[in-house]
Amino acid sequence: MGRRLGGFGEKRMSQGQTGAEQRLVTPGMVIGPSAGKRAGSGIVTAEESMIATQLGWLREQNNTVSIDPINAAYMPRSGDLVVATVAEVRNNLWFMNINGAFQGLLPMSLAPWKVEFGAARQHMDVGNVVLARVQEVDECHNVVLTMKGVGLRRLNQGTVESIPVQHIDRVRGDNNALLQRMREACDCRIMVGENGRVWIDGDADGIAWARMALQMVAEYGHSKAFETILSEMEQTTKGDA
Amino acid sequence: MVELVPTLLRQELARLAEDDARLDGRGRWEGREFTLETNCLYNAEGSAKVVMGGTVVYAGVKFELRTPWPDRPTQGSLMCGAELRPVAGRKYEPGPPSPQSIELGRVVDRGIRESGCIDMESLCIVPGEKVWGVMIDIHVLSDRGNIFDACGLAAIAALRTAIVPAERFDVGDDHKLQIKGTPIMASFTRVGGRFVLDASEQEELGGDERIHITLGDEGHLHSLQKGLRGVFTPAEFAEIFEVAQTRCVELRKIVAKEEEN
Amino acid sequence: MGGYGDVQLLNDDGSRLDGRKLDEIRPVTIEAGILPAAEGSAMVTHGLNVAVAAVYGPMEAHPRKIQRQDRAVIDVRYNMAPFSTSDRIRPGFNRRSREISKVTAEALESVVLVERYPRSKIRVEIEILAAEAGTRCVGITAASVALADAGIPMRDMIVGVASGKIEDTVVLDLDKAEDNYGQADLPVGILPNTGEIAFLQMDGDLSLEEYNLAMEYNFKAAKEIHEIMVDALRRRYDGGEA
Repeated sequence: MGRRLGGFGEKRMSQGQTGAEQRLVTPGMVIGPSAGKRAGSGIVTAEESMIATQLGWLREQNNTVSIDPINAAYMPRSGDLVVATVAEVRNNLWFMNINGAFQGLLPMSLAPWKVEFGAARQHMDVGNVVLARVQEVDECHNVVLTMKGVGLRRLNQGTVESIPVQHIDRVRGDNNALLQRMREACDCRIMVGENGRVWIDGDADGIAWARMALQMVAEYGHSKAFETILSEMEQTTKGDA
Repeated sequence: MVELVPTLLRQELARLAEDDARLDGRGRWEGREFTLETNCLYNAEGSAKVVMGGTVVYAGVKFELRTPWPDRPTQGSLMCGAELRPVAGRKYEPGPPSPQSIELGRVVDRGIRESGCIDMESLCIVPGEKVWGVMIDIHVLSDRGNIFDACGLAAIAALRTAIVPAERFDVGDDHKLQIKGTPIMASFTRVGGRFVLDASEQEELGGDERIHITLGDEGHLHSLQKGLRGVFTPAEFAEIFEVAQTRCVELRKIVAKEEEN
Repeated sequence: MGGYGDVQLLNDDGSRLDGRKLDEIRPVTIEAGILPAAEGSAMVTHGLNVAVAAVYGPMEAHPRKIQRQDRAVIDVRYNMAPFSTSDRIRPGFNRRSREISKVTAEALESVVLVERYPRSKIRVEIEILAAEAGTRCVGITAASVALADAGIPMRDMIVGVASGKIEDTVVLDLDKAEDNYGQADLPVGILPNTGEIAFLQMDGDLSLEEYNLAMEYNFKAAKEIHEIMVDALRRRYDGGEA
């Protein structure tokens, strides 16, 4: 939670929310007839009606009705970039906490180093933070991670913040435009994992600034566009954060 | 469940400590915002709710009639217990009371008991036969750091508003429980190498040992506890003790203000 | 049911002791998202009852033997705080709370899309802070709002309501005296949009006609409470508008 930040009172929170249709729906709510439309994520059809299954904002795009949930758990998909923490080390593999229902598994063969059997701990120990990619996810939620790939590595400095996974796209903006704006405003390196973990590295003021912006997203992200948060944040210079 | 401590978190807390800064922008001796509400539960003879940052705690007071201990025939009794049930966070698991919740209950219990704020003699109804047993139960609903201070505050606030239900037990008229004094707890956690007041969940996760100080109205010590792995120096204690004095005076005022309303 | 037939529960004009009409519920207020540590939470006050629910997960199901390969399990704990009743309750699980936890879990498993999360568990913690009568129903309502708040997909929410019989008269939503001295209690969990029933218990003595009337009352109340549930979720996320 932390402190409420000055100058961001609740009253100013209601703006934001881009897009045409802005209807908040709750689970079980009948949205309308299903004929001629496709049920997207968060929607099921029953007896020719579309029914919401999650709390969120209703969206209709290209004849598909879906819900942007207000809260959601991270569901890993192959190809996801994630910020993971080593939870367990075995002779030939690491178990990683990826903020999902299940731990991810990083086998020795997918590590960026040539690892001798039994020497896994020399490369990475419990608590270490890494940038990894989801290699595959099977039907039973078994997640295999890889660290072979450009930029995938152990993160030795910087800090990690959390944001709600459903706000990740909004933090990035179109073509990462907002993320880029944020990077420039605080002069930090920032990597946003699909699992809601954000790695920040820079000088002390920059990190403090970025952390505050992300805490605003966690607290007000459901009612306020990230661009609004960013604009308000940009008016506070780094040193004041 | 043992929580995973990311190395980057400890590193970051150490770096912030060098600049005398904290994760959420607070000063080293600055507490989080909190609210106190009393008399909020039907069926409890005294109750209080404390919201401290993201930590949410309830305390409820119940009374029972019992026979006094043979060696103290004119004294009632006090019991204070805390429950850290799985509702309070992902890390809490179901099962019998954990050592952590027993420690929590006992530290709060000692602060209240040893301050002498309850006159045990006043709980006597018939010497050697019938006395009141006072029971404070603390229920932690959301742990986002420093549950000790929240629990200590809720317990004393609930106690100070308690009504002895004498009519229901057919032993006279209902009356306010006599309480002299307001013992208050102040807790410090070592974060990034130095102590801070009112640690947040992240600071506790990446921090080390904690020290709990309960002070009475005159600023006297009534309970001390050092928890978790780590050591501290007498000089460090002198420093936090001074902060505890100020903090306890502030919180005591808030308890008094809530009682007036 | 106590079955103390000589306790007067209805006034001479046929109204109830607390002034309610036969088919009137006690006042209900709901707040969503009140526990910052939880992934979803709610507090429901219903009459003098206070119930809090917290949701955690989906997470890996432990111990392994409770895991289901094809779906998530819902792990419910219904618990009464020691100070929630007029005589203090000793902390810990008892037979009553175990039974309520079990049937509540099964009710919630019938609406949550559990097949989306194989091998996982969703933890639902229901804490009763003050008990007047009908806590299991208030707990179910709180759990539904907390699950919605946590973003867990469900095909409908569940509303917990109860009707009963006092002095040979069917009434909606028994209060403490009516529960203690009444003749029957029919707590149910209703899916407000589909009109299905996911939770059902009953004790006492009811004729079929009385059962039908009690159910009719329950459905009426479910509709009213559902509106309050939806409003609580909206208020939290929609700035009170809509």
